[in-house]
Amino acid sequence: MADRAYGYAGKILVLNLEDESYETVDTDPYVGEWVGGHGLASRLFWEYCEDKTVDALDDRNVIVIASNPFAGTIVPAGGGRVEVTGLGPFSYPEWYSRSSVGGRLGGSMKNAGYDAVVVRGTAPRRVWVNVVNGDVTYCDAEDLWGKDSWETQEAIWDRVTNNTPLGEWFDLPGNRESGRSTSRPAVFAIGQAGENLVRSATITHDASHVSGQSGFGAVFGAKNLKALSFMGTKSIDIADPARLVELRLEIQEKLGYKVDDPVNEAPVPQAVPLYSSLLHNPGGGTVGQTIGRPDGCQGCYRNCRAIYRDRMGNQSTCNAAAYYTASGKREDQKRCNSLLNQLGLDGYETDMPVYLYNLYKMGVMGKGKEIDTDLPFENYNKYQFIDTLLHRIANREEIGEDLAEGLVRATMKWGRWDEDSKGLLRRPNWGYPEHYDPRLEVEWSYGSIFTERDINEHGINWCVHHSALVPMMFGQEPFLPADKLVEQVAKGTGLEDPLCFDYSEKGIYSDEKVRAVSWHRHYGRFWIQSMGLCDWMWPSLVNFTNMTDTDYAGVSPAFEVELFKAVTGRDDFTYEKSLELGHKQLLLDRAIWVLQGREPETEQLADYVFELPTDTPYQLPVYENGTWSYSDCLGRTLDRGRFKDVQQRFYASEGWNERGYPKREVLEQFGLADVADALDAAGKGA
Amino acid sequence: MTKTGQKAPRPPEAAEKGGVSRRQFLAGVGGLGVGALLGGSLAALALPDSVYAVPASQGYLLVDTKKCGGCESCMLTCSLVHTGKENLALSRIQVAKSALAGFPQDSAQYQCRQCPYPECVEACPTGAMHADEATGVRTVDEGKCIGCQRCISACPFTPSRVQWNFEERHAQKCDLCKNTPYWNREGGPGGTQACVAVCPMKAISFTAELPVQSDEGYEENMRNIHWSNLSFPIDDAGKVSAETYMRAKAAKPAGEDASTDSGKMA
Repeated sequence: MADRAYGYAGKILVLNLEDESYETVDTDPYVGEWVGGHGLASRLFWEYCEDKTVDALDDRNVIVIASNPFAGTIVPAGGGRVEVTGLGPFSYPEWYSRSSVGGRLGGSMKNAGYDAVVVRGTAPRRVWVNVVNGDVTYCDAEDLWGKDSWETQEAIWDRVTNNTPLGEWFDLPGNRESGRSTSRPAVFAIGQAGENLVRSATITHDASHVSGQSGFGAVFGAKNLKALSFMGTKSIDIADPARLVELRLEIQEKLGYKVDDPVNEAPVPQAVPLYSSLLHNPGGGTVGQTIGRPDGCQGCYRNCRAIYRDRMGNQSTCNAAAYYTASGKREDQKRCNSLLNQLGLDGYETDMPVYLYNLYKMGVMGKGKEIDTDLPFENYNKYQFIDTLLHRIANREEIGEDLAEGLVRATMKWGRWDEDSKGLLRRPNWGYPEHYDPRLEVEWSYGSIFTERDINEHGINWCVHHSALVPMMFGQEPFLPADKLVEQVAKGTGLEDPLCFDYSEKGIYSDEKVRAVSWHRHYGRFWIQSMGLCDWMWPSLVNFTNMTDTDYAGVSPAFEVELFKAVTGRDDFTYEKSLELGHKQLLLDRAIWVLQGREPETEQLADYVFELPTDTPYQLPVYENGTWSYSDCLGRTLDRGRFKDVQQRFYASEGWNERGYPKREVLEQFGLADVADALDAAGKGA
Repeated sequence: MTKTGQKAPRPPEAAEKGGVSRRQFLAGVGGLGVGALLGGSLAALALPDSVYAVPASQGYLLVDTKKCGGCESCMLTCSLVHTGKENLALSRIQVAKSALAGFPQDSAQYQCRQCPYPECVEACPTGAMHADEATGVRTVDEGKCIGCQRCISACPFTPSRVQWNFEERHAQKCDLCKNTPYWNREGGPGGTQACVAVCPMKAISFTAELPVQSDEGYEENMRNIHWSNLSFPIDDAGKVSAETYMRAKAAKPAGEDASTDSGKMA
């Protein structure tokens, strides 16, 4: 092999924007314990961000974009992702935060020569940075400023490739040993929202792969950084290529949707995207009937997105694909999704049209009203409304000036937070919208409030919630009886105890639940956020795609480790080690949050979680009276006292003291004495 | 709809009568403006004697350009089994993709056509680029390659299907996985091709027959009714909404035959 570890480019790029210089450091010292993605990014942030208590838009903030050993490989549903970390401006209050991005960014970074990019300081002029086969150039971005993220990418594609048409070889600069490529550069660009420091601003790659949550687009904007572009022809060494190919084919055969002869097909084609997601349909995010094709991230075996004839809605998926439905026209829905990505706005964090319309109907918001705006509410059901709203937010125009701060800060300014957060406006944790019910699906809510943001990891969620709820919407039985489901989920996670997935009144406060939450955070940190496995596919707990009555097991946890070994050659690696490294990352992250001011009292879910009973059927497995069943979970709230008890037990399980500060002895066990020293210096040692 | 492995149509009458010059022949298969349809048996029949010595390849790769999901798995696997490394630039099949374009202009797939008359072979001054004796596959004897790159320039297609392996410094091209040192399966005609095996959309297939082709490439449609269940078009040109097919298979009024092949329900 070459002079670098298997799966790695071998170098990390550190951009010093202040003087437009850069340096490179070896990846090797980080490989063993920090591996890649989130782990690598957190350690780099720890080392390069000198003051972790500054505001997110302060020029001392540091953004890290980190690839991983799986990026740019055929690891199924794992070859395309990168992790982005830094102080994020969206949450309330601001925390050290994260986001991940798919597409082809991770592989392209490594082909261009770098495993990670550390962005420091603020540029004296508006710039974009061009990275080609290891060479780094700061380019003037004055003429790109004001362009949307798609226009910016297209302009940079042409500049980097000297206007090479799609479908022709582009000879990379140098000699013939520099190689040729038919690929477009992978560009990571902000739109107008990022330029205008909107707290929900994204960084967009290709059509709809975005660093969504956390508002890192605004950090790019604050740093005068319009875009990063990566292009290269450098190889990534793989420890055991033949084994990797066989693993890929084996997993694909077992889990993949058989496009020509499916084992299971949705009862109504594409009627419910969630059904498609359970079955891992190609184009599962497709919006209605379409003339187009499925589209996938690099190396994916599913291809859950789609490309459309008019390019509107290209690569849209999940929440952002369904962001706008008021007009009832699918074409508007797709157009709106693309507008979000072009402006660089996160569809999840700007999930506010319905709430605003409610304020309008209540007579609170509108022209001459308490919250004065001439937003065209009379055309709420027409595209004009959403178009106007999003442009105003992105450009900080009129009411957009308030909304650009995020809805929580806006409602606080309007004096409505205390009242509306009891139910009208559901923002359970850190200002993020309710993703799944925080009173019931507690891996999600506990995990979010004990960390930095809405966790957005669906591995358990598909199984315990959707696999029961979605078939019922079609009058079908759940995919599996509750007892079989929890047994398989317990096996696939390695937790082995079905009570970890009991969502009864008792179960959500149990020690087993705390264990499940802890596992979820550690697995997520390592396999999803550090190794870039797609959370729509991993962990692979239940095989809904090719399910039969007797064979429905997914491939977790064994195959993650086998893939890791095949790529990296670390043959002594174990599943337990992966969870240990995930735990280690969480310790480091927790230390940063503590330095920022995290205390138990700040970890407070919104009032409605404790006061407003659930009133919508929400299927989850429960263990009651000695029997497993699915429950509608109606009339449920969280109990404040029992939540605090869970909080303390979670702290203890992680090696944190009662204030949530990581303990020195635990930090030292993980080789993090320097972190303990920093906490001591801040008066927060434990 | 052309089925994978289906025998290609007979060639046009004029071509079968012989007297076709090599240049005329190339115009038909080389993407130079004629767009003639050619069948597998034609290569031996129609070529001048001097060219007859190049045996036809015993296999070809077909791609349904409308079915490709752009995941680049084929490229990554091609590179991996041949070089042991992941590198799109070293893949012998290329997928050029622009996610900001509309379907179907967003993506194009470029595979070697194993030309009946391979200009790359003729251009090679050392015999490095040759037709494999056993299989007819056009491939490179790397030890004989002197790096003149004439084969790359000679390929009549854009982008050239012959590449310069800039790491090992020799020409390379698709060999239908005949020589894959980093894979444990038997490749080549009669064996398995990595790109075919890995494509999750089943958009790449292998055929032993010289495919129907035109300037635009092969005309392949590998999409069946299940593809329309995913809401994607299954007509050859990819211009008809899947809804059309869904209506066709919807329950018909009593007395009419209900459409079948609706797939199993979950």
